[in-house]
Amino acid sequence: MFTPGSKYLIAITGLSAVSFAMYMLLVHPSALGAVALIGLLAATSLLTGITLFTRDGHTAEDQTSAATLDTPTPSMWPLVGAAGFSLLLVGTITTPIVFIFGIVAMLAALVEWTVQAWSERSSGDGAYNAQIRQRIMNPIEYPILAAVGIAVIIFSFSRVMLAINKDAGALTFILAASAISLVGLLISVRPQLKKSIVLTIAVVAAVGLVGAGIAGMGVGMREELVVAGQEDHYAHKECGAEKSEHFDKGVSETISAKSGADATIELIDGKLTAHAQGIEGLQDSITVARSNPVNIIFRNKDAGEFRLAAYLGKTKVADGVSEDLITCTQLLPQGAEQWLTFSIAKPSVSGEPYTLSIPGLAGQSVEVVVP
Amino acid sequence: MRRLKPFILGTSGTLFLASCATNAPQDTWKPKGPNAQKIDSLQKPVFAVAGIVGLIVATAVTYSVIKFRDRGQPIPKQSHGNPALEITLTIIPALILAIVGVFTFRTVFDLNKTSDTQMIINVTGQQWWWEYDYPANNEYGITQPIITSGQLVIPVGTKVMLRETSRDVIHSYWIPALNGKRDAVPGRITINRIEADKPGIYAGQCTEFCGLSHANMRMEAVALSKEDFAKWVANQLKPYVAPADGTLAKEGETVFLNQCTRCHQVNGLTRADGTPVIAAPDENVWSGAVPNLSHLMSRNTFAGAMFNLLTPECRTDVWKSESASFGAKYLAGVSEPCLNQTDLRGWLRNAPAMKPMYANPTQLAATNGKYRGMPNLGLSEADIEKLVAYLLTLK
Repeated sequence: MFTPGSKYLIAITGLSAVSFAMYMLLVHPSALGAVALIGLLAATSLLTGITLFTRDGHTAEDQTSAATLDTPTPSMWPLVGAAGFSLLLVGTITTPIVFIFGIVAMLAALVEWTVQAWSERSSGDGAYNAQIRQRIMNPIEYPILAAVGIAVIIFSFSRVMLAINKDAGALTFILAASAISLVGLLISVRPQLKKSIVLTIAVVAAVGLVGAGIAGMGVGMREELVVAGQEDHYAHKECGAEKSEHFDKGVSETISAKSGADATIELIDGKLTAHAQGIEGLQDSITVARSNPVNIIFRNKDAGEFRLAAYLGKTKVADGVSEDLITCTQLLPQGAEQWLTFSIAKPSVSGEPYTLSIPGLAGQSVEVVVP
Repeated sequence: MRRLKPFILGTSGTLFLASCATNAPQDTWKPKGPNAQKIDSLQKPVFAVAGIVGLIVATAVTYSVIKFRDRGQPIPKQSHGNPALEITLTIIPALILAIVGVFTFRTVFDLNKTSDTQMIINVTGQQWWWEYDYPANNEYGITQPIITSGQLVIPVGTKVMLRETSRDVIHSYWIPALNGKRDAVPGRITINRIEADKPGIYAGQCTEFCGLSHANMRMEAVALSKEDFAKWVANQLKPYVAPADGTLAKEGETVFLNQCTRCHQVNGLTRADGTPVIAAPDENVWSGAVPNLSHLMSRNTFAGAMFNLLTPECRTDVWKSESASFGAKYLAGVSEPCLNQTDLRGWLRNAPAMKPMYANPTQLAATNGKYRGMPNLGLSEADIEKLVAYLLTLK
């Protein structure tokens, strides 16, 4: 009554039903997970019904066909499918990523095993059957494997770079790039190099990279990044006492911003000076366009810590209530510089003049004129 | 060949006739200032050299194609090459390029010189018009910043530095008679130096595709003698004068206050209670700015210099005037008889119908309801009449 295929599908259907029930009862259910499991259950139920109805495709007749191999070739896909199913079950009660891996493995096993089984029924010639399978599956397998390989390389390398400090990161990058260039050069100048040597180098490099990535994950991100994440430094906007060690640090390293500076504001010997880009000499005011980002470099050349504050007019907070709109840089020690970007929508005639000034330093300001 | 004859004749004839055009204000071969002259002095010999090389190559190819065409003859003996000939043919172009390169670099560095700048003007591109901000400059009597659009006014014989940027997408500023083109890039300041030898109007056009009305994003540089420029500055700095009570223009001011000041600024305009009117284009327009209409009638164009404020006759009179009389004619501005009422009224009636813009209120979801360009305000003919009368007072 029950053929081997039917038994297998009945088992999968049963396990799908159980996993769906467990997922809905034990795991915080999501629409995606529920749809995936109910879809799997429906698909396996359908296949089970078909195999039961057709008695597994009249296997008795197929076994006597002269066009097929007597015995199927060994296949790893049942194992992969089983592992995928296990992951799927584990994923339902642990993390979504394991669940997704399980589904991917099961789908891969389903497709690969189906095509393999089909190709082995094509003829009695094993080599021909294998060729048929490759013609169908290689255009799918190679891009997927390449994408997975690239993803593994990037992910492993990124874990390493996040774990080590910046200087070591730069050095690692240089060394890795140099090693790749050297190996590439070696292979190009010695094309007769043994395939086994090239394969050994590739395997050692891959294992080394993945191992380093795993080690990097174990170590975790370097302290600076952990602190920056905890501080939520990108949302850190206050112009009062410093709370962050990492406020807007990245912006000073942005090449596009550096090439777009409207003016450089310097504090030297208690005096605030402006130097607008493209204009010779120092100015006591800068003229900027309305509704356009203005990039200012503030450079503290004075002893002590100072910040640059920009008064950008008033902003309405409620009917009849408005407050000063001020943005500023971090407190900068002597010799340090930082970028300040702002945009002013209204012309200067709208009220008090817009200014750049140093909090706590009276009488020093640069007017920002908006025609 | 017979079929190709009309095509060849037509193409040749068109090219020939195009070269005879007399009204070509954006002609790149007619420099009117030292910067454009430097480019011209470079491009003419380069063009000549390139033409000679092109002619030699074309002749050699044509000769080879005809002389050695397939007549069924056996394939000649094949040889790998001629090292002496190949080296010669490599060295000659390299030498030509090196010579051209030397002069090109020299010109590039000359054009980028800024240390002797005499005047600075901030130029901001936006879909689809140019805004000009003149920072205070006591040497030229600019005691307060001046803002204008459409026409860039400069004094002759003055090294003017344009500090270009953009509010939205990349534009490119190009007045061919005064200098080469320079991109205006959002978030960046690019420097472009211009200088005009003689008074006159020099036309230009945005040369970086920037959206729907790119072809309509024009500009004009107006060069005035230093005395006339001083008069222009003095006029721009004049305070606002409200129309007299009981006039049509006064009614137009009310319409302007109700309909236009949401976006357009007229410096000095006040409400009935005396509070200054501050436009809020940042709340209504995607790029956050629209042309400031202070002293509108001192300009000759509107809507990104796409339309003339002057009638064709009056405009021709200004454009074709001699250098000596040009300044006076330009400074006269737009009088009522010279006002191009057709285009101005059409613009006020339905601006998007005259210039393609993203101004359909039902299709602004992507811009949070903000326009790119002036929308159709649905003004009545009576309101348009009043507005025209009011705008005529903005001199």
